[in-house]
Amino acid sequence: MKVLGLSAVDQTRLLRICILGLISIVAIGSRLYSVLRFESVIHEFDPWFNYRTTKYLVHHGFEKFWNWFDESAWYPLGRVVGGTLYPGIMVTSAAIYNALHALNIPVDIRNVCVFLAPGFSALTAIATYQLGKEVKNETAGLLAAAFMGVAPGYISRSVAGSYDNEGIAIFLLVLTFWLWLRAVRVGSAMSAAVCALSYFYMVSAWGGYVFIINLIPLHVCVLLAMGRFSNRLYVAYSTFYALGTLASMQIPFVGFQPTFTSEHMAALGAFGLIQVVAAAYYVRARVTAVQFRTFVACAAVLVAALLACVLVVLSMRGAVAPWTGRFYSLWDTAYAKVHIPIIASVSEHQPTAWPNFFFDLNVLIWLFPAGIYFSFRELSDNHVFLILYSVFAAYFAGVMVRLILTLTPIVCVLAGVAVANVFEAYLSHSPGPGVAQVPRAAIMGAMLFLLCSFQWHSSWITSTAYSSPSVVLASRGPDGSHHIIDDFREAYYWLRRNTEPHERVLSWWDYGYQLAGMADRPTLVDNNTWNNTHIATVGRIMASDEDTAYDLARRHDVDYVLVVFGAMLGYSGDDINKFLWMIRIAQGVYPNDVREQDFFNSAGEYAIGDTASKAMRESLLHKLCYYRFGDVMGAQAFDRVRKQRLPSSVTLHNFEEAYTTENWMVRIYRVKDLDNLGRSHKNAAQFDST
Amino acid sequence: MKPNWQAFATLLLSALAFSGTTDAVEGGLVHTNAIRTIDLRSLPAVTEQIGVVVQNVRDSKAIKTFTVYIPHTKADRLAKVTVHERKSGAELQVSKMENEPFKYSWLPQPIEYRATFLQPLQPGEKISLNIDCVYLNTIEPRPKVVEQTGDQTWLWKDDARLLWAYPIHKEKTVVRTNGEIKSYSQIKESSKDGKSVTFGPFIGGEDLNAPVEVRFRDNREQLEAMTHRREYFVSHWSNDLNILEHYALRNRAPALDAFDKVKQTMSRFMKARDNFVKTLLVKVPADAREMYVVDEIGNVSTSSVTSRQRLNGDAFKVMQLKPRYPLAGQWNYTWWHGYSVPLSNYLRVNRNHHALRVPFIGSIVGSASQNEEIPLTAINTYNTAVSKYELRITLPEGATNVDVRVPFDVDSIRQMPQSYYFDSSGRTVVVVEHANVAPSAVDAHVLVTYDYSMLSLWQKPLVIAFVVFALFALTSLGSRMQLGLAAKPALTAKKTQ
Repeated sequence: MKVLGLSAVDQTRLLRICILGLISIVAIGSRLYSVLRFESVIHEFDPWFNYRTTKYLVHHGFEKFWNWFDESAWYPLGRVVGGTLYPGIMVTSAAIYNALHALNIPVDIRNVCVFLAPGFSALTAIATYQLGKEVKNETAGLLAAAFMGVAPGYISRSVAGSYDNEGIAIFLLVLTFWLWLRAVRVGSAMSAAVCALSYFYMVSAWGGYVFIINLIPLHVCVLLAMGRFSNRLYVAYSTFYALGTLASMQIPFVGFQPTFTSEHMAALGAFGLIQVVAAAYYVRARVTAVQFRTFVACAAVLVAALLACVLVVLSMRGAVAPWTGRFYSLWDTAYAKVHIPIIASVSEHQPTAWPNFFFDLNVLIWLFPAGIYFSFRELSDNHVFLILYSVFAAYFAGVMVRLILTLTPIVCVLAGVAVANVFEAYLSHSPGPGVAQVPRAAIMGAMLFLLCSFQWHSSWITSTAYSSPSVVLASRGPDGSHHIIDDFREAYYWLRRNTEPHERVLSWWDYGYQLAGMADRPTLVDNNTWNNTHIATVGRIMASDEDTAYDLARRHDVDYVLVVFGAMLGYSGDDINKFLWMIRIAQGVYPNDVREQDFFNSAGEYAIGDTASKAMRESLLHKLCYYRFGDVMGAQAFDRVRKQRLPSSVTLHNFEEAYTTENWMVRIYRVKDLDNLGRSHKNAAQFDST
Repeated sequence: MKPNWQAFATLLLSALAFSGTTDAVEGGLVHTNAIRTIDLRSLPAVTEQIGVVVQNVRDSKAIKTFTVYIPHTKADRLAKVTVHERKSGAELQVSKMENEPFKYSWLPQPIEYRATFLQPLQPGEKISLNIDCVYLNTIEPRPKVVEQTGDQTWLWKDDARLLWAYPIHKEKTVVRTNGEIKSYSQIKESSKDGKSVTFGPFIGGEDLNAPVEVRFRDNREQLEAMTHRREYFVSHWSNDLNILEHYALRNRAPALDAFDKVKQTMSRFMKARDNFVKTLLVKVPADAREMYVVDEIGNVSTSSVTSRQRLNGDAFKVMQLKPRYPLAGQWNYTWWHGYSVPLSNYLRVNRNHHALRVPFIGSIVGSASQNEEIPLTAINTYNTAVSKYELRITLPEGATNVDVRVPFDVDSIRQMPQSYYFDSSGRTVVVVEHANVAPSAVDAHVLVTYDYSMLSLWQKPLVIAFVVFALFALTSLGSRMQLGLAAKPALTAKKTQ
């Protein structure tokens, strides 16, 4: 039957394109809650760094960007920005920006950055469709794309304004895997080269590329162990590894790592192995022996084991770089807590709680095992890959909460496969009596309900949990009115407009990127936590008594100290609640000066106010937060976060209040100049008052 | 030591002027009497009105022009000079001279303005003239630092005697302020009367020049727009005139000695006075729509707009902008806001000939009031002086024959090409630059005339349609072409097993 003059095949093709278009629109649309509810603003912390570097790239060009040494970060050390970042996302935004300007569309770079992640989420959906099509058929592809478009696990990192590496990296991850499976199926060097190109883009965009460069060799090894060597696999992997590795080494941040770090050794080993196996097969073609096959399988396993042993030995002797702390914490979840407080202090590095899986993936989490089951039933080369991917991604997602992100694509694909199988079984045109159709209709109805509830759940989660910029907060009044709490930007903009451009601002590292991006002032530490000692020094300043802190702050040329304080509003993410981490990190470097024990009172509580321990009461952070707070809240008032009584008196001599925001959330203090007569500020104040 | 040096310099210049070494100025005139009234009641604008009697003392020849000097110390703050005949009120034509009045002088030169008499001044004839000068931001706070609820005290400082191009017989200076006079220079000829101080009279040739000053209290808000850029975008398609205003603002009040949040909270609660400017009022046309306020790091969400208001027969709306932080003395704030108005209210069309008449500048009023609602009358107070102003009018693509008329002299007018939104041939942007915008310019209009044909109106849709069509044609062509040597393999290869 012809509609619009199109044959049935063309009709389905057109329909598929339309459906993919709709999925893209839904994917983009559901990520715009934050813009509608708040505004087009960069979210959270790391995106501010990406945004700032993108602006630098756009304004100064690629050459300057590559060689950028940022002296305003990590004062006085500075940071080699060009060599310590993944430039993929900045280059992508700059390319889009320049293309639009070439068409005379005067778009603001901020808007390019804000809408980049939603735009790429549409591409991710399309790539997922291709992946689903590759492993099953178009139905599975479309379902997988629809899941991927709205899965909260991915939305959490790709709402408008969430301008982070993951925003484009998930697209590249799916794209690379699809191209890999296609290269293995087709076995052409061309497809494998395209896959390597996509891998290169991925390397330039996100440190998560390590997942690819371990998973693909694993796929190869497992296929070899299963005796599934083929020339297609050989061509695909050899091309991919050679080109991909060479390309990845062009990123300065990666550099020569693929040649010596343990994270990349598996890929190298697999490359060697497949050469050996290929040689063996070549030999076998000439020496017709039936037992040869088992022999090769054994030899392959042996060689792999041998290589692994060599790797371990080399790692232990230090010839191969040891695994970095973040990777250790992937294997041993308690490792970071004991050894590296700075990693443990980041909430997104915590192990995942069970409800999180349901929260982020909803019904997909039940369809996922079904998809694995169907993969086992068919078990082509592609399905082996899917199974490996699911096992590893599931493990990593359990270890670190933010890695649910890498799990989401495979869950979507396998759920798509599972639902497509259900559709196949129940939607086929089989003639029969009306009564026989009833169970069929019931099952389809239930399935439809499940899918609708997934969509509903996703929208709800997106709107309530993942659409807050965290730079701007919102609250609801008792009458349901919408209030915007904008204290962070108030403080940052005050700094930007009313301090000298060279003046240094000291704050805990969480706010470093935002200070650089919004206040445009030099900071001592920021979210690129590369120097633990420097961070510990800041922690020590916060934890020391006022005179020591003043001395240290002056030695580090600090002009302003910024603290975040939530007691007025009940904002629990403030510095007092983060204080224990500051103390722990400081203690790691200065065990003689800062002791965690001192900050617990005699009852063993982490208290504030008059019941706090002496070290706590005298610490700089405690003073800066509560200075004169009681005067406005009244003597009997409570801290609304900690539900404890406020300290009765807080004195401050060496620092003076420079600005406090409307809701007291951000307080900025000026470090006083030295007294003209060389007295301490306390003595000077006493002398003046008498 | 600086004031003394300035006094010395002025003295020397006066001496030079009297000795007649200036060959550019036509001699033969004498000022018999001059009264200078300095009005400090509408700060930050300072109005100097000089009433002067000019006499031709030549024997025969009539004199056509006479010269006014503006000392170099005040020249870069000068907003406006006008000269009127006192009796008839008729305005004299005044033009700025580019030459340096004093040759062979290494000292900074005063600026010379030359006014042309309506009728040449006959020998022996006298005429009374009013010279009006407006200066911006010349008054500085003294002390420079006060408490956040303290009184603002300002210092006016100038020479007791003016710099004249001709001999002067008698002159005096009256300074009028709006608040209590805290102190003033105690020279022989000075006296105080309520809120005004008089210096003089000084007799020409006898009394020496001396710097004088008046310190007075004035707690009203004073702001300086260090830069202000107003942009108009003309769109014929949507009958839309988009207005965008960039501001870099500074509160001129004395700086804070120390920021005190507790006190600030208390005075807000008690509705007591402090020196923070909390609200900025912008008057916009009653039919303005799509208003927004943004600064470098995003929306400023604390602003509001009133409903349509009416005052003295003038209908308008008021945007009440709340800066991210209240502006204490010497604090800066930078932002931009914009809105749209129907273009037809501003554009006259006669066939291809278009005439756009738009306000030269928009005003902004800072308010330190603790109230949420600011009284409507505040909108017409002038308390923000613009130091550097730029006006940009972006005309639609295809506008030709552009002509710009501004009702007073401005520093520069130029046209430059610019491309926006799929432009193919680019459009013309008119750029007007002017330093120190006088308060009276708020009522002035700019007239831009240009030719714009129907064809230009359709240019953009046609270009876009053509490009899209060309893309489709290319794709269609590409898909029909066989580039490889072999026939395309059908993509039905079986998946690997």
